Amino acid sequence: MPKYLARRLGQSLLTVFLTLTTVFLLVRLAPGDPAAAYAGPTATTADLARIRGEFGLDQPLIQQYGIFLRDLLTGNLGTSYSFRAPALDVVLDRMPYTITLAVAAIAVTAVVAVPLGVWMARRADSKRELGANVLTITGQSMPDFWTGVMLLTVFAVLLPVLPASGFTSWSGLVLPTVTVAILQLALISRLVRREMTTALNSPYITVARSRGFSERALTWRYALGNSGVPLITAIGTRFAALLNGVVVVEVVFGWPGVGSLVVRALETRDYPLIQATVLVTATLAILVQLLVDLAYPLLDPRVRLGKAA
Amino acid sequence: MATDVSPLDGVPLLDVENLQIELITAHGVIRAVDGVSFTVGEGETVTLIGESGSGKSTTAMGVLRLLPEGLAVLSGSVRIAGRDVVADPRAARALRGRTVSLIPQDPMTALSPVHTIGRQLGDALRLRHPGLSRAETRERGTELLAQVHVPRPETRWKAYPHQFSGGMLQRVLIAVALAAEPRLLIADEPTSALDATVQAGVLDLLMELQEVEGIGMLMITHDLGVARVVSDRIHVMKEGRFVESGPAGTIVDRPAEPYTRALLAAVPRLGAWDEDGLTGAVAR
Ligand SMILES: Nc1ncnc2c1ncn2[C@@H]1O[C@H](COP(=O)(O)OP(=O)(O)OP(=O)(O)O)[C@@H](O)[C@H]1O
Ligand SMILES: [Mg+2]
Repeated sequence: MPKYLARRLGQSLLTVFLTLTTVFLLVRLAPGDPAAAYAGPTATTADLARIRGEFGLDQPLIQQYGIFLRDLLTGNLGTSYSFRAPALDVVLDRMPYTITLAVAAIAVTAVVAVPLGVWMARRADSKRELGANVLTITGQSMPDFWTGVMLLTVFAVLLPVLPASGFTSWSGLVLPTVTVAILQLALISRLVRREMTTALNSPYITVARSRGFSERALTWRYALGNSGVPLITAIGTRFAALLNGVVVVEVVFGWPGVGSLVVRALETRDYPLIQATVLVTATLAILVQLLVDLAYPLLDPRVRLGKAA
Repeated sequence: MATDVSPLDGVPLLDVENLQIELITAHGVIRAVDGVSFTVGEGETVTLIGESGSGKSTTAMGVLRLLPEGLAVLSGSVRIAGRDVVADPRAARALRGRTVSLIPQDPMTALSPVHTIGRQLGDALRLRHPGLSRAETRERGTELLAQVHVPRPETRWKAYPHQFSGGMLQRVLIAVALAAEPRLLIADEPTSALDATVQAGVLDLLMELQEVEGIGMLMITHDLGVARVVSDRIHVMKEGRFVESGPAGTIVDRPAEPYTRALLAAVPRLGAWDEDGLTGAVAR
C-alpha cells in the first residue's frame, strides 16, 4: 500500500510537470503579445520592449524555461501581469469558489441522477424510461451558455427570486449549480441505469430474492452496492473535470471562480497566471483521481490496489 | 413469526399440478417444462433427476416464481402450503424466505461479491426474525455456519465470498437457506460442489433437519447414489416431462425406461460401485 501510494504520487508529479511544460511552450508559441495586451493600444515600441524586459520575455525560450523551473522549485510561479500579484495567490483566492460550485453541482447531480438511474433500471425499456432519457439527454445537449441564460431569464429576470450574477449570498450558488448539474445528469443517470440493470439481472439478486427480500432491499442494498466502483469512477471523473473550472457557466453567472479567471488570463496573455491555474487545477484533479482509486477496495473487496484486476 | 406454521390438514406442503413453463429466448419460445405433476409432503424428500437441460432447475425456479417476469410464462398450478403461486405471485413473495427457501445450483455466483458472508446470512436471519439484535444475529449466524461445518465461523463472519472455495460457499448457502427455518426446502444440486466426505456430512444434516423439523424437500441431483439414499420418490425428467416416477428403490434398482438406465450408467459413483460407470457420458 505505501509502495502503491509512492508510485502513484511519483506518476502524478510527472504528469503535472509534463502538463506544465506543455502549457509553458504552447502559450509562448501561440500568437499574441503579453506586452501589447498589458500596455494597451497607445503603447510605443519602446514601451513594449521595456515591458517585455520587465516580464523576462526578451530572453531566449530555453532560458525562460530554466528560470521558470528554478522558481517552480521554490514554489514561486511568477507575478501575474494583470493582477500584479503572485500568480499562485491569485489562483488560490479563486479556488474556493470553483470548489464550492463543483461540490454543489456534483452533489446535486448525484442526488438526482442516482435515484433517476435506479428508477430507469427498474422500468427498463418502458415509455417512461424513454421519456426520462429524452429529457436528460436534451439537458446534456443544450449548450451550457443557453441553459445558463434560460435559467437566468426565468429565475432572475421574469421571476426575480434568485440573484443573476456573482457571489453575494449563498442563493447566488443556485443557478450556476443547476446549470452544471443539468449538463451532468444524462451521463450519470445512464451509467447508473446500465450498472443497475446488469446488477439486477445477476444470479445473486435472484438468489437473494429467494430469501424473501423486498424489491426495495434488493435494489438499494444488493444491486446498488454492486455498482459502487463504476459509479464512484464516473462521479469522481466528472468532479475532477468541474474543478478545472466551468468556464462558460462561470462567465455567464459572473461566478468568481477559476473558469472566469482562465478567460481573463488568456485574453491578457498572462503567462504566469495561466501556468499557475494549470498547476493548481491539474494537481487537484489528480488528487481527486487518487482518492477515487483509494476508495475502490472499500467499495469492492475484490479490488487490490497496485495489482491488475 | 410463528403465524405461518399452520396445520396443513392433509394438504401437501408442495402440490404441483400440470405445470408448464415456456421460456422466451433469443431463439424463440421453448417449453422447458411440459406438464409435470408431483407433491412433496412434510418430512418427505422428492428428487428430480435427468440429463442436463431437461428442465429440473426451471421447475425449481418456477415453483419459487423466480424466473424473470415477462420472459417465463407459467401455467398449471403450484400450491405451497395451500397457496397457489402461479395464480398469485404475491403469495410467492410472502412465502419465500419464510415457508420455503432455496439452495441454489451455482454457489460461485449466488452471493453478492461486495457484501460479507455475515451480512448476507444476517440479512436472511433478520428477515425471519426482525427483532434480532446485531449480537444475536451474529450468534445465531455463526451457529448455523458451524452446523454446516464451516470452520472457524466467528472469523469467517466478516469474510467475502471470493475468499471461500466453491464447496465452502455451498455450505454457506445451505446455512442461509436454513436461516429461513423453512418448511419446504428446494435444493438444486446442493452437494455438487462438495467432496465426498463433506457431501455425506451435509446430506446427513439435511436428513436430520427433515426428521427433527419435518421439513419437506424438493431435491435436484445428478447423483443417483445420493437420490437412492435420501429420496422417498424420484421423478426422472427428460425434455421437460417426467418419463418415469416412483419410489426411490424401484427407480434406481429396477428402472423401466431405457433413458433412466442410461442415466444410471452415466453417473460416476462413489465407493464400491463398478468403475465402468465413470466412462459413460450423460445420454442426450
Ligand atoms: N435463461 C435461459 N435462457 C434460455 N434458455 C434457458 C434459460 N434457462 C434455461 N434454459 C433452457 O431451458 C431448458 C431447461 O434448462 P434447466 O436449466 O432447467 O435444465 P437442468 O435440468 O437444470 O440442467 P442442469 O442439470 O444442467 O442444471 C434447457 O433447454 C435450457 O437450454
Ligand atoms: Mg439445473
